[in-house]
Amino acid sequence: MMFLQSLLSGILTGGVYALAGIGMSLVFGVMNISNFAHGDLMMLGMYLAYFAFTLLHIDPYLALLLIIPTAFLFGFMMEKIFINRVINHPHQNQILLTIGLGLIMSNTALLAFSSDPKILTTSYSSSAVTPLDGISLSLPLLFSFAITCLITAILYLFLSKSSTGMALRATSQNREAAQLMGINVAKMSAIAFGIGTSLAATAGALIAPTYYIHPLAGHSFLLKAFTICVLGGLGSVVGAAVGGLIIGVVESMASTYISSDWKDVVVFVLFLAVLLLRPEGLFGKKGGQ
Amino acid sequence: MKKTFCSIAAALMLALPWRAEAAPVKIGFINSITGKEAQIGENLTNGVTMAIEDLKAQGVQVDLVKEDDGGDPKNALAAYEKLVTRDGVIGVVGPYTSGCANVVASRADQYKVPLLVPAAAKEEITMKGYQNVFRLNAPANVYSMVLMNAVQAYKPKTIAYVYAATDFGVSTVKTAQENALKMGLKEVANEKYQQGQPDYRPSLNKVKAANPDLVFLVSYDADAILLMRQAKEIGLAPKAFLGAGAGYTTAQFAQQTEISNLVVSATQWTDDVNWKGAADFAVRYKAKFSKVPSYHAACAYEAMRIMALTASKNTTAPKLRAALKVGSWSGIMGPVKFADYSGFTNQNNHPMLVQQIQNGLYETVYPAQFSKKKLIYPFKR
Repeated sequence: MMFLQSLLSGILTGGVYALAGIGMSLVFGVMNISNFAHGDLMMLGMYLAYFAFTLLHIDPYLALLLIIPTAFLFGFMMEKIFINRVINHPHQNQILLTIGLGLIMSNTALLAFSSDPKILTTSYSSSAVTPLDGISLSLPLLFSFAITCLITAILYLFLSKSSTGMALRATSQNREAAQLMGINVAKMSAIAFGIGTSLAATAGALIAPTYYIHPLAGHSFLLKAFTICVLGGLGSVVGAAVGGLIIGVVESMASTYISSDWKDVVVFVLFLAVLLLRPEGLFGKKGGQ
Repeated sequence: MKKTFCSIAAALMLALPWRAEAAPVKIGFINSITGKEAQIGENLTNGVTMAIEDLKAQGVQVDLVKEDDGGDPKNALAAYEKLVTRDGVIGVVGPYTSGCANVVASRADQYKVPLLVPAAAKEEITMKGYQNVFRLNAPANVYSMVLMNAVQAYKPKTIAYVYAATDFGVSTVKTAQENALKMGLKEVANEKYQQGQPDYRPSLNKVKAANPDLVFLVSYDADAILLMRQAKEIGLAPKAFLGAGAGYTTAQFAQQTEISNLVVSATQWTDDVNWKGAADFAVRYKAKFSKVPSYHAACAYEAMRIMALTASKNTTAPKLRAALKVGSWSGIMGPVKFADYSGFTNQNNHPMLVQQIQNGLYETVYPAQFSKKKLIYPFKR
């Protein structure tokens, strides 16, 4: 029973990790940029959900309808103004730029919202369902997981069926060739960054009712998102989804059967092992970066 | 009428020259005004500000020299050295954090200027036999002791620990384990966690499976809310939740009535304790700063009051030290006396209080002589 509880709990938490990972992976795939501001974009999503709830009295899950387009626009503009200037520059320049943007966001949030953690308490914040005796599943995490599945499915359909999605994939596979085929790669980059940002903000908003909201809250998720991307194979959306679930389950199992204090150690040992055996990640292509 | 006038004039003649003669006493105050601890530091600053005003009203002028350590022991030591060598203060109140206070305490005997620590809990500070170090608040071991004493009457048999992997968490649980051993409590789970994780459910599930009578928690700020939320979610309901750490004593935690109701926690001071002036202090503090005072504010207020009052009558550092050693006071922190006992030197044997959140309010429930409300046991949702 403990095993099943731990597994289910891990899958639910992993779902949110996956969403954060997918956004980062998509940006890397299309633009070949590691976005180190990803955690801070998640933090913005948390605050958007918080203020939508406290000021506008909108349920955090319903608020996604507002948060997703807002975050998309924000990401789109950010790419147009800052990111596209370093797209053909060395990796260290891109990393410095995104870290810098992240620092500006988190410190602006510190100034504006102070360092007091905010708590978003909905009527279901600490409710659970018990499908089986001895198994309890967090209601907000179940909602989050369902929404994550829905969003991932929509994203999958968008990438595989729509013409913009196909253009995004083409840019991801070979930027030069895509350009030669008449795809506006600059526009694709901005769209990819916009989608990446809205996925990060969505992940933030989804976790807000079960976590606390703080200007530096994104930092612990940045490391997770990055680990998930590398584990799943940089640039692979499916890889990031699977990677997120794996990290969630491994963390949960490690806490249950070893110690909560050791769960990060277990996660990173597994991460190193995967990298040793499959340096390109679980779903990465051979010869990829 | 004439008589009244004469007596007022006589009183003024007597009072004014005395007022003019009383030179201000020069006291240093080291606090974490900036840095990570700034939020609590603000409470200490406010407490000291109120003490200075009250002293002024009583005719004691204080020339206060404030120093910020930013929560860094290095800065705290530099601040202390500046205060005693350059500013020539005869006594110092502070610093706030255990780390800072411990370092400054180690140099106090070298400079022979008394240091009064208002709120730092690390036991070592008053355990090294320093003659110039005094501490007002109760040290770390009392946190767990008072919590366990409060529930001892109900004869709990088993205990589980859930705590943050920090200095404070680990050391508090260490003393708790010693106290539990004395009480004959059996340890059934021990879950140390890394702070800031979104999911504590696996740890809490393990605790639930062990079915303990008591769950002893040490957490900071928001982690306390997260842990209690997830505890409710998975249906963890021991006979009592004992919260030793800062996270269980905040106003924000109490407001989350759905999860915080009936949680028991240890504190140095409450506003409903029946110590002289405690309630009045809370009212005046709220009126002045539009915030609820934490125990840190009360500790800082009382420490500054004692230091300045004593210094006003003993104007050199050695005399001040001797007077602090023999004196006794009574105020918003109850009776204060710096004594040597069970390995401590110049330690005020401060009775810690146990409070329980009842309907969103912190109510003092133990010890009985200081409390108005009764402990509700066992815990129920």
